[in-house]
Amino acid sequence: MPEITPDKIKTFDQKEWIKENLSYHKDTGSWAWIFHRLSGIALIAYLFLHVYSLSTLTHGKEAFETKMQAFLSPPFLIMEWVLFIFVLFHSLNGVRIVLVDWADGARYHKQLYVFSWIVGLILFFVMGFIMFSHEILKFFGK
Amino acid sequence: MFRYQSSKNSGAKSWVWQRITGLALVVLMIGHYILMHYHPDSGHTYEAVIKRMSFSWYRIIDLTFLTLGFYHGLNGIWGIFRDYNLKNWLKISIISVLVIGGIAFITWGYSIIFSIPYGTVVSKP
Repeated sequence: MPEITPDKIKTFDQKEWIKENLSYHKDTGSWAWIFHRLSGIALIAYLFLHVYSLSTLTHGKEAFETKMQAFLSPPFLIMEWVLFIFVLFHSLNGVRIVLVDWADGARYHKQLYVFSWIVGLILFFVMGFIMFSHEILKFFGK
Repeated sequence: MFRYQSSKNSGAKSWVWQRITGLALVVLMIGHYILMHYHPDSGHTYEAVIKRMSFSWYRIIDLTFLTLGFYHGLNGIWGIFRDYNLKNWLKISIISVLVIGGIAFITWGYSIIFSIPYGTVVSKP
């Protein structure tokens, strides 16, 4: 019987951590975990920005509305819209996590993951239509 | 023996709070989106802000939203760092940055909300 020595056991290679992480087989839960983490980082970064962007409220009407006009420009609108999918996925998957932890969610966590994406994307596109309805209708000549 | 296996100080409380605040934030977020983005003006004009802020209950909701948002977000960031086996000095530094940054921005947010004057502005006809 061959002797098992520590150097023969496959362990996590810290120097190649990106490669090691990417090599893992990913299933529903791992994807949910990855997207939850990424959307969470994006949301807390936005929250800092959000407080900063509203700080002009202390400088009165003109200062506030000048700043808000900038946020109504197309690049910012698109960024706001993209932010919404982060909010949606993080919220829906967050509910999924609570159901897995505190209810019977472990039995149907895969369906909940798919549900999160479907509901999230539907609401995302509905919001897109609401936000850009003027431009969309103009494009179709209405 | 069992004393030392208790999960009391292992982050179990923060785990429970992360779920409670998360659920609260989902509810608050739905209200926030409906109120702020139902019409472009409701989130982007000074009058609309003053009008909302003339209700004390709205200010209380806003302050709650702000506090819970930063708590949940920064606790989540700390949760990411907890996944890695960091050295103690690094842990202490990261927690310090998160706590100080969080308190600074929550205080800033509070001061913004409190600085908004009470009373309705007469909007243009």
